[in-house]
Amino acid sequence: MSDSWKSAIAKVVASNELAVEKILNEYPYVVELAERLRETKLRVIDDLQAYVDKAMKGVERSGGHAYMAKTKDDAKKIVTEIVREAPTREEGKRGREKKKTVVLAKSNVAYEIGLRDHLIKEGFEAWETDLGEFLVQLRKGWPVHLVLPSVDLTREEAGKLVHGIDKSVNEDSSIEQIVAAVRGFLFEKYLAADVGITGANAVSADTGSVVLVENEGNIRMDTVMPRTHVVVTGVEKVVPTLRDAMDEAIVQSAYAGLYPPTYVNVTTGPSSTADIESHRVSPATGPKEFHVVFIDDGRIAASRDENLKEALLCIKCGRCYFACPVYRELGRNWVGTGSPYNGPTGVVWNYLTNGDPWPAFLCTHSGGCKEVCPMKIDLPTIIRYVKSVGEKRLG
Amino acid sequence: MDEDQIRSRLRLIRSVVTRNLMRDYVPFPMDRKLASSWASPLKVPRGGDALIYTSYMYQMASVFKSYGRLLPKFGSLASSSIVQGLGARVIKPSDDEMKRASSVLSNAYSLIRASGVEVGYLYEEEPYSGALLLEMGFLDELKEYGKRLLSFFHDKGAKRLIVLDPHTLFTLTYLKREAGFDVSFEHYLDVIKGAKGGGSFVLHDSCVFSRLLDRYSSLRDFIREAGISLSENELVTGKATGTCCGGPLGSLDYELSEGMAKQRAEELKSVNPRVLVMCPICLSQLSPYADVKDLLEVIRHE
Repeated sequence: MSDSWKSAIAKVVASNELAVEKILNEYPYVVELAERLRETKLRVIDDLQAYVDKAMKGVERSGGHAYMAKTKDDAKKIVTEIVREAPTREEGKRGREKKKTVVLAKSNVAYEIGLRDHLIKEGFEAWETDLGEFLVQLRKGWPVHLVLPSVDLTREEAGKLVHGIDKSVNEDSSIEQIVAAVRGFLFEKYLAADVGITGANAVSADTGSVVLVENEGNIRMDTVMPRTHVVVTGVEKVVPTLRDAMDEAIVQSAYAGLYPPTYVNVTTGPSSTADIESHRVSPATGPKEFHVVFIDDGRIAASRDENLKEALLCIKCGRCYFACPVYRELGRNWVGTGSPYNGPTGVVWNYLTNGDPWPAFLCTHSGGCKEVCPMKIDLPTIIRYVKSVGEKRLG
Repeated sequence: MDEDQIRSRLRLIRSVVTRNLMRDYVPFPMDRKLASSWASPLKVPRGGDALIYTSYMYQMASVFKSYGRLLPKFGSLASSSIVQGLGARVIKPSDDEMKRASSVLSNAYSLIRASGVEVGYLYEEEPYSGALLLEMGFLDELKEYGKRLLSFFHDKGAKRLIVLDPHTLFTLTYLKREAGFDVSFEHYLDVIKGAKGGGSFVLHDSCVFSRLLDRYSSLRDFIREAGISLSENELVTGKATGTCCGGPLGSLDYELSEGMAKQRAEELKSVNPRVLVMCPICLSQLSPYADVKDLLEVIRHE
């Protein structure tokens, strides 16, 4: 990667380290929550299918619809059909024939299955609404990091990209001007959107609730403005209770260096109100339809593999990337564009979801990843196992 | 990353290294007499039940790097005997490198003896630990080699190995857990007493020793008790923030390996221009880019 990448990542590494240290000092309960969350998630991994089944029942009980997708293609098919059947913004009208507008919140799982490009190919208009992901979409690229997808971009580069959707912005624009232009553009998309698609930081098995944490406010808009809200999530995001799901949101945001988070969104079923005669009707202000697509894509098999299952503890905070000297040198070029996952956890997740062991061989077992991981995942040992799998394929 | 290149190099490394190990207990042809010559002037006893175990790491660290660069040139040559021949003729440590390694190993021996431990040495019969196989993920081959290694040490009557480098320590730890390696082993830092040094340095932690073997704090305790002053910076020398020198990647991606070494050297020099290491791979990797000393070049028996 270029010198500008190295300079950008060096700044981010330093600021993330200092930010997380400050957070953990000011809010020491986060460390306790992380330890407890690890134990809870290990229990779930050992009985993953049962927890997923319970979560699916919870979603249905709340008035939503739950689906299980074994593969990437299954997931794309399910989501496409939901979008096709989704009601349009004209009340009561199912618009299979209408070109739908979809807004997406940052979701690594959506990238994993190739969802946005697939929806566009199917004739829908699809827009990322997280600023970093929006910039990735404009540059027709791939995210560089789980939480900071465009951290490699300079202000000038961002300005040039946004010029494509707002001629008042260019490489001389300030960051504030760029963000304002993107906000104005996306607001129109929120108002026009028929479907909002998000991922999930956690899904509670007891209530079927989806918890999402953010700072921009786009997730809030994606989950409330459109008539249909679709969640795409890996099955490893299921935790036993809503309290556990809230804990995961807290731990993820703290170790990503962004705590307290600006917004935590909890979605349980479609919107409703019982303000008149205590008679509950749906929808109210928010979506009429709520769908959760649980995706396997190698996760269930991994949960039964002693060498891999610990990888499912990953809460996608991205901290391990910053501790990795190989990632700091190679950036996105390490795992490439076959996967949104990069860095130490990404090397494992790329293997888990794509069956690709080769990026693992560039790991030097520096070990910082294990030190910084809030879930204490022994990444060096798991990566060594992935190397051994690759070695067997050499023939 | 170029996956085809990675696969092709892995195949070559595996065929050359495992074949040599299984036959000769070394990963590639090397001048074992030269590599063990440090011991003769000290009249280190040959053999014994307690052995100083170099695993050729200090002597051959730079050779590991250059051999990795040369392997691609031999890419189409599947025959390891041809590579062997070429290796023996063209790959040797320089005189300066051998001199430095000899000084380090001699001091290690003196420190161990001065601590009341009588050790011998296997000289040119010494086997390599197999660390390269562990690094590459060739775990089945490593376990198989580990059994041969264990038999070899049993045949030599070895009961105790005093290990000088982190990679060998880590490999034996793995073999003990996974392959029943039952000859006792320990790191020299856990054996020597009364070592004293001086000067002020920034410590570059060995990934293996400080993080994977969790010796970050005890290493610092030893160094400070020896009278060496360490400059620290949480963003450079913290347990979680310190990073690899890139050495293990040398055989697969030399440019990436050197890029990591340069980057790490710059970070370390921002804390203190004098860098201290305790691993021959780190020593070899960082020396072109910083003023680096191995711990065994700084401490002496008081």
